[in-house]
Amino acid sequence: MDRLLVLVKGEFNRLNKYNLFTAHFVVLMVWVGLAWFFEAAELKAFVPFIFLMDATMMTILLVGATLFYEKQEHTINSIMVSPVTGDQYLLSKVVVNVLNSFVTVVFISAALYFMKGVVYNYFLLVPAVVVVAASHTIIGIWLSYHAKSFSSLLVNYIIYVFVFLLPTVLAMLGIIGEAAARFLIVLPPDTANILISAMVREVDPWRLVFGYAYLILLSVVLYRYIVRPWFDWYVMREVGV
Amino acid sequence: MIKVRNLRYKYPNNREYTIKGIDFEIREGEIFGFLGPSAAGKSTTQKILIRLLKGYEGEIEYNGKSLLSYRDDFYEDIGVCFEMPISFSKLTAMENLEFFKKLYRRTVDVEPLLKRMGLWEDRDKKAGEYSKGMKIRLNFIRAMLNNPRVLFLDEPTNGLDPVNARIMKDMILEFKERGGTVFLTSHIMSDVDELCDRVAFIVDGLLREEDSPRNLKLKYGKRTVKVEYKENGNLVAREFGMAEIRTPAFFELLQSKEIETIHSGETTLEDIFIQVTGVALRG
Repeated sequence: MDRLLVLVKGEFNRLNKYNLFTAHFVVLMVWVGLAWFFEAAELKAFVPFIFLMDATMMTILLVGATLFYEKQEHTINSIMVSPVTGDQYLLSKVVVNVLNSFVTVVFISAALYFMKGVVYNYFLLVPAVVVVAASHTIIGIWLSYHAKSFSSLLVNYIIYVFVFLLPTVLAMLGIIGEAAARFLIVLPPDTANILISAMVREVDPWRLVFGYAYLILLSVVLYRYIVRPWFDWYVMREVGV
Repeated sequence: MIKVRNLRYKYPNNREYTIKGIDFEIREGEIFGFLGPSAAGKSTTQKILIRLLKGYEGEIEYNGKSLLSYRDDFYEDIGVCFEMPISFSKLTAMENLEFFKKLYRRTVDVEPLLKRMGLWEDRDKKAGEYSKGMKIRLNFIRAMLNNPRVLFLDEPTNGLDPVNARIMKDMILEFKERGGTVFLTSHIMSDVDELCDRVAFIVDGLLREEDSPRNLKLKYGKRTVKVEYKENGNLVAREFGMAEIRTPAFFELLQSKEIETIHSGETTLEDIFIQVTGVALRG
């Protein structure tokens, strides 16, 4: 537990020093700037999209960037010859990204409240963001395993966006019909959208239950059977195999 | 301290074994040199010993217990100095060390180490602004952070100027004097000769030789004495077998000629490396 705390603190310190926090903050400011042009009622429809983007896409990019820096500077080698376990290392990435998404929730919610007086169901938003950010950190780690450089990570990221997120966005815009959109629930970003949207609109309870169960199960299965076992291979590759 | 028995290792995507069944022992308190040409298997062996590579065949014992039986407490005991510079470039040297230090239960004060390695004045400089030599010295301090019992050093003096290489070698020898054990790979044979109690040569995944540098020199060197002297204004060289140096002819030569040099025929570790591995050293 102590080591996990050290890793989390260290990761936050590096996010700051490597200007990844700054980049994240700039993105948040863009969202706040966009929100300025919406009326309070319109904002309620728009704001879940901000949290969806942050907890899914921004999370994947941030975890990818930190893994890329650690790979480029070989620091992962040094961490893995210390008493840190693979589980602690990976879990620290999840914790940091969940906390980061939580910061987004606080920042955006405060900005929207003070700018437009917008409020929504924070008790449904926070657990949704936690589960979505955690699952997408694991997905981001998995995508990073298959990236040899930051460019190839971006390619993986774009493929993920097209395959998994674009249908969700099209459904949000009404381009994909309701009947077809029902099946999109098996796509993690769509499930994420359902969970996060519950902050501003009524969602069938079964969809919430399914959504949480699905993302949690997906995270556990991905971690247990793919991300954790392949981590040794990833480290092995990084030490010059 | 570390016993390796019939170690074999094959990389997941390879058909052939990289390590093809090697046995050796690293005794407590010694500096063990592990030498070989590129791609011979020395880095692979080191990565297996520091548990970065898993799935090996054979047995490795550390302190009488299988290496596999250790959990991550094994890393409390060892320090690893990689050949390439390893540090968070946007963090200062001190921030780098403080981060790694917090990962261990037992640690040392870094100030004397930084001072000894000449980095104290630059401790608040970002590691990315360090020269290659400074980064290598920082690597070494990183390896010493947890007051390890065993040090794994991969080409530790490579890229260092002679003064800093001297300081690092002195620190390695002092570590040994305090009872520490060292596993060292290097292609700088003068360093190996100076530091190592025993060396092993690995070629194509197999151990070809294992002994002390002195014994190897005796084994591979010529048991001769070469005398160079002046005769009628010309430089003449004559070689005597060890048995001959007790003969009157040898003494007569020493007494009657103007001797310029006398050399024993012992060889260098570099020559032994070339003989054993069949590969010439570069760099």
